[in-house]
Amino acid sequence: MAQLQVKIQRTETNTKTYDVTHSPDMTVLDVLEEIYHHHDETIAYRFSCRTGLCATCMMMINGKPSLSCMTIAEPNDEGYLFVSPLPKGKTIKDLVKVPAN
Amino acid sequence: METINTDVLIIGSGAAGLAATVYAAQSGQNVLVIDKGAVGKSGSTTGAVQIASLGDWSDPRDNEDAYRNDIEESGRGLSDPKLTQTLAHDISERLQDLISWGLKLDVDEQKEVALSATSGHSLPRSISARKGKTGLGILQTLIRLVKKSRNVKTWSDVITLELVKSSGRISGAIVYDLRNNLPYFIESTAVILATGGIGQLYPVTSNPVQSTSDGFALGLGVGANLVDMEQVQFYPVSMVAPRSIAGFCISFYHYSKLYNSLGERFMKNYEPENMEDTTRDKLAIAIANEVVAGRGTPNGGVYLDGTEAITQIKKEFPHEYELCLDRGIDLAKHRAEVGPAAHFMMGGIQIDEHAASSVPGLFVAGETAGGLHGGNRLGNNALSECVVFGARAGMGAAEMSLKGMNSDHTDLEEWKDKWSPLFSTTKGKIRPYQLKQRIQEILGEHVGVIRSDKGLQQAKVQLKDVQAQLAEVNIKKDFMSREILDYIEVRHMIQTAQAIVGAAYMRKESRGAHYNTDYPSLAAETQKTNVQFSNGEFTFHTFAPKGGVS
Ligand SMILES: Cc1cc2nc3c(=O)[nH]c(=O)nc-3n(C[C@H](O)[C@H](O)[C@H](O)COP(=O)(O)OP(=O)(O)OC[C@H]3O[C@@H](n4cnc5c(N)ncnc54)[C@H](O)[C@@H]3O)c2cc1C
Ligand code: FES
Repeated sequence: MAQLQVKIQRTETNTKTYDVTHSPDMTVLDVLEEIYHHHDETIAYRFSCRTGLCATCMMMINGKPSLSCMTIAEPNDEGYLFVSPLPKGKTIKDLVKVPAN
Repeated sequence: METINTDVLIIGSGAAGLAATVYAAQSGQNVLVIDKGAVGKSGSTTGAVQIASLGDWSDPRDNEDAYRNDIEESGRGLSDPKLTQTLAHDISERLQDLISWGLKLDVDEQKEVALSATSGHSLPRSISARKGKTGLGILQTLIRLVKKSRNVKTWSDVITLELVKSSGRISGAIVYDLRNNLPYFIESTAVILATGGIGQLYPVTSNPVQSTSDGFALGLGVGANLVDMEQVQFYPVSMVAPRSIAGFCISFYHYSKLYNSLGERFMKNYEPENMEDTTRDKLAIAIANEVVAGRGTPNGGVYLDGTEAITQIKKEFPHEYELCLDRGIDLAKHRAEVGPAAHFMMGGIQIDEHAASSVPGLFVAGETAGGLHGGNRLGNNALSECVVFGARAGMGAAEMSLKGMNSDHTDLEEWKDKWSPLFSTTKGKIRPYQLKQRIQEILGEHVGVIRSDKGLQQAKVQLKDVQAQLAEVNIKKDFMSREILDYIEVRHMIQTAQAIVGAAYMRKESRGAHYNTDYPSLAAETQKTNVQFSNGEFTFHTFAPKGGVS
């Protein structure tokens, strides 16, 4: 299995880097789960359905708003996967926003 | 601990919880709806494609009796006739309400409401909204009303630890706010449990991550009766690979052909007449049998071939076709590997036709309630159940609180000891998610589609080990901590898992979704199973169903 470098913007001033074991069929959500299980138990992100319906897993992935469960994990031009919270609305922690309702 | 007061507390915000909210709010009483995830976006409801219905669009031969007969036939003698009658009676009115609140039903080329056939329903009865995203459509319709109601409050990211009873009736719930890491007592005259299903007890499931069976454990904690907990529906045809969509349900199996690894269309050996177009219990057992017999695919499934019906598939189930395509499986050209995935709990907290449980003040609706579907739920009857019984629960709870049936002063002594790992430093080595995975392994191995007495006994012992390991967890305390969430969920999961195993062991026959190789046929007499929990012990028994169901 290959390694993927993942950078997660946890606060405006703190971006953390993880080197994650990775296979090409993994979504960004799978990568976040891998980080929670094996690298960092404090990481926070929302998800529910895993099939592109609930939209709670929306985040910025390599600079674009995307559903993490529907996006295959791939490095950006600089060679790493970059994940950050959506710019709009209040961020509760890491990638978690206050829900729209 | 701070106390929050409301008239009606609703736990869970899927179709059942939000329907309950809207109908309870019509009374003018104060309603609080909480969810451990984002309100209105965190349950199985978002995945639901169609809803079974009666209405102006119905087939001229269809009516309440026909609908009811289909449910009871499919329930294998375990459906409660009072509940089937209520569902068939109320559904058209509930759908009219939803339509009047803005739900737009999908239409066909003639601009008529599009009606489609579903396996096990004797007449076409399924309708949809929002181009096959019916669950979402219903949630959005209800949320719009919730936002307009001044007497309704919603609260996301709070998980229920326990229900609270005083002088024999429900007086509220203890919840944990994940955002600020604090417990609260929500005091209310009536509580509606609408926490959805159990899919996360199994390694492969169609259910969202929140389906950790919390409601069943919460009900057990206050002495509620749970019925037929062994009746777990496995969705027969869900993706087994790739892993990112493992468990994803394929709705068009009745237009497709299933093959084993020998290239044999094996359903001819099980259901020669209906072939793939049969009920979910029979199809899941047939597929699991093929795999056990060594005729499965490399990933432990069977092959689904949809090529001949591809035009219809693309048109009726575009989301399913496209998601498979996105993950490298073009169903127009390739076969998919499919197999059973944990999908739906037919059993649950026993309710009457008013959605009231045996515990005064506790109402239950949606998947957490038991008794309607019996041994096999027909497709699209879950959403209809949610709107019908959600509404009844909401009205019943509001009426109770209007009458002011308050309980005496609530004594909140013991609960904090029971949940002490949340409030003190933990020094163990085990992470809560590891215990979740262990429960999934145990149930997957011994309590799946095909069961045996020996396997069930092993599961019982192994679950006891997991329960003992709860004392050795380490929980990293932080706000919005997944570790805390996992810990609370695993506590609920272990309770419900033991209830399922015990109920399955009581049923010495194969009926509906429960298939035990030691007793492969139906017993002469129909019995329901019952689980209760008191003074730290489970009790299991069987009883003859009321109302003379055969
Ligand atoms: C993929 C999929 C497809 C389906 N398709 C169909 C279909 O086409 N037609 C059909 O009729 N049925 C379908 N079903 C079944 C149906 O969707 C569900 O049975 C039904 O939506 C359940 O609704 P509910 O309101 O009971 O629970 P859910 O919608 O699951 O909602 C439960 C809510 O309770 C919250 N919750 C749980 N525990 C707690 C706690 N301890 N504290 C606070 N909140 C809590 C959860 O976060 C969640 O938001 C499908 C199910 C799945 C998974
Ligand atoms: S988890 Fe629901 S859309 Fe991604």
